[in-house]
Amino acid sequence: MNGTENSIQKVNKKRPRSTGLVPLILLLGVLFPLLLMPLIAIFIFASRSGLDGFLSALSQADAQFALRFSFIIASVAALINGVLGTFTAYVLSKYRFRGNQALSVIVNLPVAIPTVVVGTSLLLLWGPIGLLGKYLDPLGIQPMFTPVGVLLAHLFVTFPYMYGAVRPVLDELETTYEEAAYTIGASRWQTFRFVLLPALTGGLFSGSLLTFAHSLGEFGATIMVSGNLRLRTQTAPLYIFAQFEAGNIEAANAVAAVLAITSFILFFVLLRITQRKTVQVT
Amino acid sequence: MIGAISLYITWPWLPGTRGATPRTIIVYGFSILGETMNEAIFPEFQAQWQTRTGERVEFISSFAGSGTITNQIILGVPAEVAILSLELDALRLVEEKVLPGPTWHDLPHGGVLNRTPFIILVRPGNPKNITDFADLTQPGVGVVHPDPLTSGGAQWAILAEYGSVLQTSGDELLAYEQLLGIWQNVVAQAASARAARTQFENGFGDALITYEQEALRDQILGRLNAQIVYPHSTILSEHTVAVIEKNIKPQQRQLIEAFVEFLWSEAAQKIFAEYGFRSMDERINVTNPNFGVISAPFTVDDLGGWPQAKREIIETIWKQRVLQEIGQ
Repeated sequence: MNGTENSIQKVNKKRPRSTGLVPLILLLGVLFPLLLMPLIAIFIFASRSGLDGFLSALSQADAQFALRFSFIIASVAALINGVLGTFTAYVLSKYRFRGNQALSVIVNLPVAIPTVVVGTSLLLLWGPIGLLGKYLDPLGIQPMFTPVGVLLAHLFVTFPYMYGAVRPVLDELETTYEEAAYTIGASRWQTFRFVLLPALTGGLFSGSLLTFAHSLGEFGATIMVSGNLRLRTQTAPLYIFAQFEAGNIEAANAVAAVLAITSFILFFVLLRITQRKTVQVT
Repeated sequence: MIGAISLYITWPWLPGTRGATPRTIIVYGFSILGETMNEAIFPEFQAQWQTRTGERVEFISSFAGSGTITNQIILGVPAEVAILSLELDALRLVEEKVLPGPTWHDLPHGGVLNRTPFIILVRPGNPKNITDFADLTQPGVGVVHPDPLTSGGAQWAILAEYGSVLQTSGDELLAYEQLLGIWQNVVAQAASARAARTQFENGFGDALITYEQEALRDQILGRLNAQIVYPHSTILSEHTVAVIEKNIKPQQRQLIEAFVEFLWSEAAQKIFAEYGFRSMDERINVTNPNFGVISAPFTVDDLGGWPQAKREIIETIWKQRVLQEIGQ
């Protein structure tokens, strides 16, 4: 293959495997109370009233809506940021211009900004009293408190993940491949399509999954911009929060369990894919 | 597998799976209303409207702390009807030009939908022997309190804690000392009365100051794992309905008006009483024998109305003196 796998996978590939029992026990000792026990608590509380209770909690119209809505928003966010993030990474990696580094830092900022601040800033921009919203509102355009507002928040919050997955691959990719393509008469698009894109597949895939997973769990920005309307703009995490606050712990945990399982499957797939690539290389 | 998941996700939006889109009413309500509205009031109105017009109505709703929903409405959520836990939040809507004026005064009872006294919820068997607000000032008593920043219930609770002494003794210093004593014992603050209740149920604190309705409904159903203590004197909270005219499209007007009228109908008021809210109409309250007796009840009008109570008690006494004193 052509060196597309990122550095982490290279390390994996070279490290000899041994069954270190002591480190494993130590690791579990640390992880058990930190990660595993809280996750187990979700499932115990979700299943306290048996499978019937779990299923009836899940089959509530608003729970169903919240799950579907979250999956749709996450898919669309992954799709849009998949394209935008790749494009951003391509431009910032391949072109040298003044402000390149500043832009590279800015596109990573959403990782560090508290999501509640993201929500507030979107409201102060697009909301009815916001910078732009105040001119749009009289025209009847009001993106906040609608699914569009939720999507805008998720695009902002998840932007760095696609970019982060693709950029290192592009940086490592030697420009000679591209130059070779140009010398045999390939257009810029053809070069991208037949030289860069195949090399990027792994990055694109893991970037999309990361974006999807983060969007699925997004809470802080969403609660600010969605209006938290059940059957309209309430995502699964907001549903969980609302139900937990109202004391309906089973309803909250049933949906939480679904999200936890989904994330597990997502990351499991992610791991398998990156591993398979490594195996192919060796 | 991916295909099956996609089908599940998009199912409700696929063409042909949906009947005629029903008309909707968007209601924002304060936290403790959620159960009553979703379980009884909305279905009852849906049934009535269906028999009257043959149309299906769907309710889109959100329930949170009264302050939270007021802020959301100011920021522009499409609420058509708001049920706030206190008139003060409705006045904020006027201040922020969401409402052209105190339009709720034109509704029955000046816009007050129902009321409920503030009570103390203690652990089963009352191990700390709490009989009145004064006992909450004792050292070693942990009090769970909603946060006055976002919860209307919390503001009512402050008026109850302060006003109960003021109303019976007329002594402002004693009233201040009781309020201070209680707040020195506050161990957890939640965003809404409902959230505070959840914290209490999850084992925080020895006492919770909350709406009688919160506890009464569960007591009637026999699932209250706590005990209600009725103070000698406490406030009756009054919950205000605000119709957000600017969010109501012309074709919606008739429907919204019918719903608001329905809220004060005998059928709806009986439902509220069944769920533990006291009606402004005493004849309806007789239908629920579980309402406790309060020797010296008072309302916010006895404290000079909300604007004055907010300024003098919540801002000046609680925020500037009590919070300073306990070093928050």
